[in-house]
Amino acid sequence: MRLKSPGFLFLLFGAPIMSGCASLGVQPWQRDVLAREEMRLDANPLDAAIDDHLYFSKEASSGGRSFAGGGCGCN
Amino acid sequence: MTGSAGNAPDEALEVQARGGNLLAVCFTAMASPCEVLSSSADHAAALEMGTLAALEAQRIEKKFSRYRGDSVTAWIHENRGTRIEVDEETSSLIDFASRCFELSDGLFDITSGVLRHAWKFDGSDRVPEPDAIGNLLPLVGFDKLEWRSPHLLLPSGMELDFGGIGKEYAVDRAYDLLAAAHAAPFLINLGGDLRANRPPSQSPWQVGIERPDTDREARMILDLEHGALATSGDSRRYLLKDGVRYGHILDPRTGWPVPDAPRSVTVAASSCTEAGLLSTLALLNGARAREFLEEQGVRFWLL
Amino acid sequence: MQLKPGPRSLKAANARRQLMAASCALLGAAAARGQQSGTAPADSGLLEDWSVDSALAYYHENGRIRAIEPVVDVSKVTADGQALNFNATFDSLSGSSPNGALTSHSAQSFTSPSGKAVHDYTTAPGQLPVDPFYQDDRIAVGANWSLPVSRVDQLSAGAKLSDEHDFFSVTVNASIAHDFNEKNTTLSFGVSNEYDRLSPIGGAPVAGSNYALSEKTGGKTKDGVGALLGVTQVMTRNWLSEFNISVDRFKGYLNDPYKITSIIDNAGNTTGYEFESRPDQRTRKSAYWENRVGWSEQFSTALSLRYMSDDWGIRSDTAQLHLHWSLSNRERYIEPTFRWYRQTAADFYTPFILSTQQAATGYESADSRLGAFHALTYGLKYAQKLPGLGSRAESEFSVRAEYYQQTFDERMAVPAGLSGLDLYPGLKAVMVQVGWRF
Repeated sequence: MRLKSPGFLFLLFGAPIMSGCASLGVQPWQRDVLAREEMRLDANPLDAAIDDHLYFSKEASSGGRSFAGGGCGCN
Repeated sequence: MTGSAGNAPDEALEVQARGGNLLAVCFTAMASPCEVLSSSADHAAALEMGTLAALEAQRIEKKFSRYRGDSVTAWIHENRGTRIEVDEETSSLIDFASRCFELSDGLFDITSGVLRHAWKFDGSDRVPEPDAIGNLLPLVGFDKLEWRSPHLLLPSGMELDFGGIGKEYAVDRAYDLLAAAHAAPFLINLGGDLRANRPPSQSPWQVGIERPDTDREARMILDLEHGALATSGDSRRYLLKDGVRYGHILDPRTGWPVPDAPRSVTVAASSCTEAGLLSTLALLNGARAREFLEEQGVRFWLL
Repeated sequence: MQLKPGPRSLKAANARRQLMAASCALLGAAAARGQQSGTAPADSGLLEDWSVDSALAYYHENGRIRAIEPVVDVSKVTADGQALNFNATFDSLSGSSPNGALTSHSAQSFTSPSGKAVHDYTTAPGQLPVDPFYQDDRIAVGANWSLPVSRVDQLSAGAKLSDEHDFFSVTVNASIAHDFNEKNTTLSFGVSNEYDRLSPIGGAPVAGSNYALSEKTGGKTKDGVGALLGVTQVMTRNWLSEFNISVDRFKGYLNDPYKITSIIDNAGNTTGYEFESRPDQRTRKSAYWENRVGWSEQFSTALSLRYMSDDWGIRSDTAQLHLHWSLSNRERYIEPTFRWYRQTAADFYTPFILSTQQAATGYESADSRLGAFHALTYGLKYAQKLPGLGSRAESEFSVRAEYYQQTFDERMAVPAGLSGLDLYPGLKAVMVQVGWRF
């Protein structure tokens, strides 16, 4: 039974939105919300690293946000 | 330019006794009343500290003041349009200003002084025409000059103004000179920007911050153990037109005053340069001053 | 963990440290020029330029594996915007690990080379065969460095080493990021290379060989290269988006040296086992999209989606949602998390081999991590700001718990003799973590 993956749908969404890059954005003085700690893309790096290690050892996928290598013998 | 050997401060200095076993040496620098307070009975040491601080503050004032024809600032302005090599101290100040420009996304800009040609904050209602500001904006922008330490190319028409960092830098420089030579507790205060090394014997230093627009008696007293305090405010320089108050803190990106800026910001940090920059940036953040300071995690007082 | 290039403005989390560093540089240079040099320019002690993030995680997989993992991470930003980061992880796993064999109506005995010695163990009828002597201690260290090479460009490099008794790994990576569109858009490209050396106790088994014959060869290696292309875009004042595509290829000995596959006859009796046999190459591609939105002063969300596909026939979808609530004027926050994951099985995944088909096997593995399953994670984090150490502004203490559950999706038709046995027990695990950042 082949799984119909919704993955392709989001790939289609992702690419066209990114192509409209040049007109998007904010002025330098409008970065107040983005400056908050929880809005950083790398907020809580230790939580992410511990989770990534857990999922690497229990699943067949890894990476995406950063490089995919596990660097450990747990899978 | 180092130390103080062979020079004398601009005026004769004397040691005064203050309450609480404090000795004070007062002098004038950067158009402000300055003092060095020390908590020890040693008059000679107090005078020496006062002299060291006065010499260094006055040296920095003479070197960077835009009002003096023999300052580095005047020399930079004389050589606009050509590539010049500045000395190490000027170079490190411009490096610092460059870093602050970057870190603040252009809010902090030492080329913004040229806007004073449009704005005269004399309490009147003469707000400049938008054209007057529009003509000056092309001359504002740290990224418009060429800076590769120690070589500077300032385009003609643009100006550099070290006033925004000079006083706090002088506090830190004088502090370092004093701290190297004296272990006793002291506090150096240049017109409200101050720094202390250790608290006097029993209790912290008590610093009074004037509340703007009220008489001198109604002060806020802060406790300072060690570190620096810097205050930025817009109390006496403003324009008032049609009921709208235009403070003298201008946003270098628009040329207009920052709306809803607090009247006075005092920030505590480990160095006066850092405290001064944070208090300036808080004012430039206008209505967001409190949030900005909370994000930075510093002790601050808004008035 | 890698340093991701991020906005370098004063409003970023480490901004005050950057300002302190810049002030120190100004005053330090001045002190060095003066006759009275030798005083520290600012009042900060040596360690106060560094920020420290630490955590201790405890993991428990129902009745089976237990792991404890302390992590420490220290970072510093210098006056000219260079960032340095060092981290160390120690993790200790112990307990019972499934060995890949199928549950059976009869007792089964195995000889295990995992753990630090060779042990014999028996599995009762009807129980999932697990190696109860599983023990692994691992230490890993890493370093990352990033350097702004212009107002809009940043170079980063990192290295990581990991060592356990039967596995050694070294990874290096490098990337470059370019800002444009007034720093609203950042494009980044990075490459990485990983080299692994396996030295299983008793040697690595010959792939696909008979378990009873125990043919072993020496140590094995594998090597992987990866590339990642990413764009980060400020969408609106409240919305930040990141999109990455990446590819990686591993070559070498990709088998799990301790996993076996049961060979069963038509009646469902286990007649033997063989060591697994995977291809010696694996290429994976993935696309990742993350969106962070600040809905209000107190509430923000992070939603990420990932799609992965490889040449072993595995495809996976991942969706993860973090909700963030700031409370008490940002002094504390709670963060519930939800993650959904689904993967298809590898082409050569098979929970067992029928003895009649034994001769026709090419690649095969019964490792449940290559099977078709979906997994759900529910998590909750609570964090509290505390006064900082020394001249630091503040510190943060946090506690986090997660519940992770895997459920198998596909069941192969099994001989009637195995009916009544739970052949796909799945997995339930709990993780608890405390953290301190200052």
